[in-house]
Amino acid sequence: MDFSIIVDTFENMEKTTSRLALTDYLVELLRKTPASIIDRVVYLIQGKLHPDYEGVELGLAERLATRAISLAAGMDISFIEQLYRKTGDLGDTVGKALQSRNQKISEKMTVERVYQTLDKTANCIGPGSQETKLKLVSSLLTDGSSRESRYIMKFIMGTLRLGIAEYTIIDALAVCFTDNKANRTVIQKAYNISSDLGTVAKILARDGLDSLKSLRVTLHKPIRPMLAERVRNAQEAIERLNGHSGAVEYKLDGERVQIHKGRNKVELFSRRLENITKHYPDVVEAIQKLKIGELILEAEIVAVNSQTNEFLPFQELMHRRRKHGIEQAVEGYPVVIYIFDILYLESKDLTSLPYLKRRAIIENIAIEQNFDMLALVHQKIVNNIEDLEKQMSRAIEIGCEGLMIKQPTSVYRAGAREFAWTKLKREYRSDLADTLDLVIVGALYGRGRRVGKYGAILLASYDADSDIFRSTCKVGTGFTDEHLDFFYKKLEEIQLPHRHPRVDTRMHMDVWFEPKIVIEVSASEITLSPSHPAGLGAIREKYGLALRFPKFTGRIREDKNPEDATAVAELVSMYKRQLRSVKKS
Amino acid sequence: MVFVAKTRSPDEWKVILSTISTLVDEATFEATVEGISFRGMDPSHVALIDIQWPNSTFERYECDDSVKFGVRIDELSKLIKRASKKDSIEVSMLEDGLLTIKTQNDYLREYKIRLIESSASSTPLPKLNFSSKVVLSASEFDKVLSDVQVVSEYISIETEAKLVEFRGKGDSGEATISLNSESVGLEEIEVKEKSRATYSLDYLTRITKAVSSSGGTIAAEYSSKMPLRLECRIANIGRIHFYLAPRVQD
Repeated sequence: MDFSIIVDTFENMEKTTSRLALTDYLVELLRKTPASIIDRVVYLIQGKLHPDYEGVELGLAERLATRAISLAAGMDISFIEQLYRKTGDLGDTVGKALQSRNQKISEKMTVERVYQTLDKTANCIGPGSQETKLKLVSSLLTDGSSRESRYIMKFIMGTLRLGIAEYTIIDALAVCFTDNKANRTVIQKAYNISSDLGTVAKILARDGLDSLKSLRVTLHKPIRPMLAERVRNAQEAIERLNGHSGAVEYKLDGERVQIHKGRNKVELFSRRLENITKHYPDVVEAIQKLKIGELILEAEIVAVNSQTNEFLPFQELMHRRRKHGIEQAVEGYPVVIYIFDILYLESKDLTSLPYLKRRAIIENIAIEQNFDMLALVHQKIVNNIEDLEKQMSRAIEIGCEGLMIKQPTSVYRAGAREFAWTKLKREYRSDLADTLDLVIVGALYGRGRRVGKYGAILLASYDADSDIFRSTCKVGTGFTDEHLDFFYKKLEEIQLPHRHPRVDTRMHMDVWFEPKIVIEVSASEITLSPSHPAGLGAIREKYGLALRFPKFTGRIREDKNPEDATAVAELVSMYKRQLRSVKKS
Repeated sequence: MVFVAKTRSPDEWKVILSTISTLVDEATFEATVEGISFRGMDPSHVALIDIQWPNSTFERYECDDSVKFGVRIDELSKLIKRASKKDSIEVSMLEDGLLTIKTQNDYLREYKIRLIESSASSTPLPKLNFSSKVVLSASEFDKVLSDVQVVSEYISIETEAKLVEFRGKGDSGEATISLNSESVGLEEIEVKEKSRATYSLDYLTRITKAVSSSGGTIAAEYSSKMPLRLECRIANIGRIHFYLAPRVQD
């Protein structure tokens, strides 16, 4: 198949503003495409070489691309750079550069050849791979006409921007192969469970629509995740349950992953179906220990403080998403895998089981197996607004984004966003610019690297009206080894066998202290809390105020008496002052 | 199927292999009744080599069909280099997948090497009309290129009437080499119209180095801003064509 056929389609698509025309151009292209390479053509029009989950990237640095253009066009690299500055796009740069060239030495440009060469380029690794990539890319640019090479470069650099969504391709496939757009639902479904539109297209083109219906969930091919509709408040969440109870889970502020465990390998896929296995070698190891042959789980990976097991914000977890130094990242940013769903077990597809049945299966697995690094997402059956709000506050306080509310009887609908699952995120958040000075009133012993020291410290704010120190957070981050040694020595002197009478908290601590030492902490915000008594009832009945993601700044306020610590009244006014609407996300 | 090709010395293969190795690591040769040929482009498709090695130049040549054989250049070179200067080389293929190389003078050496998958693509030859032609001895051509390479990575060739000028320009300065019909080494000059074009020295020097050891002449043909073709005529080999895409200046 001539590559120019694809280029004609791309050119037409680039010019049109009509969604319908996009579909028409696609149908036209698919009609001209032999079934044997239709999968490749589908990938190419999406700007890919393989389905996302295979994790194949072209990864051509701009510098290398510029050199390839220079080689193909026979122009100085400085001239290419100049052109690039003018056009702002390497594809357009190639298009322009090649116009003034007298191309005579060339081989034919076919879709097969372009695909193969790009695929080779993507798979180049090891020493000398950069030079090989350069030559491969240049060979295409040299042989292509200026318009062909323009699109090849745009493809390579990921600047194709034709705006062809999967949705449009599915429409086009339905029209092309069944003459009926309504059949898109069958194609969509096949795509949702395989996440591979190229293969879906090929099965459709070769074997027809009925073969697509028999496509099943397959290990190591990610299923497109089921998504939740957003609800505005607890009331709406309850209404959406239509009089039934809901299974309420903490919505953790981590990364949603689909875990595929086969007999030989474990793979992790992100929500967007990228293969992220290499970022979490510790997760892979933990999953490998499960005494189960085949399994597909859905879970949230969350960064935690290794001392307190408290959640850390999503940004901390993103330190894991790096290319190099993964080992250090594993050590520096420990995670826990919170499982919330199971889709496949020992060659059985579980997606058509009701939600609570699936939950029961993972609970059983959790009981039978020794869970290292693994946990189940906290879940509670709730049927009224009050209980839901209580869950919500707990969730926010411990660092979650909100709640997921699931209908107990719902099946797993791959790729669907429906009210079977709803998400409740908090409407307001406060932005804490100031640091707070708080009093140390208790501590937990450390583990691991912090054995023999304190792991987390309980902090309180001063309630002047009743002369009581009321707890507002536990802090375990921001301490250096020197700090820990210092605190251990210093606090030992004021240690008590029980809670000090001037201290008010519902927390259980290993040791208690006389309220004396004041330290400075920063936090992301102040939230309503059912567990800390500072400011109890000031904002809402039965709720106090807590710091979210607290961190020791490194300053010990020896200049401050405990009574000079941030007062409860200040905490309340800070909470009120800094409320603002959360941006809809 | 029969294919046997015998040369008087290892030199012929050495020139062929070192020429091809300037562009690629692997090569697919085609043997027919007429002789052996090779055509291939460098990985970035900037240059092309086309070799015709006719049956009449061999001491013995037999081929009753068309047969393709793919080899890794460095592997074959290693074997050929084992031969002494006066050894004859006989290349044959009697069974599929293996190429036999026999060298004989003092004693008989016989190597068998595994063939690699031959590339299927057939590169078309560019259709070109040349407006200028300059013929130099291979060693003289090599010298001129080296002269320019001192200051530049590129060489501009300009021909007018009976004069050819090779120019180079780099950060450190400029070079101009002028030859006219009186000059030593310039064997022929033919200019239909004034022409000027620029080419990468890197590609050119590699190819001239490979062929200049065997003596012979190099004919350079080109037109303004168009690809260059070098024709190397070497005794006992026939001819090598080398095409190179032009550089675009300013």
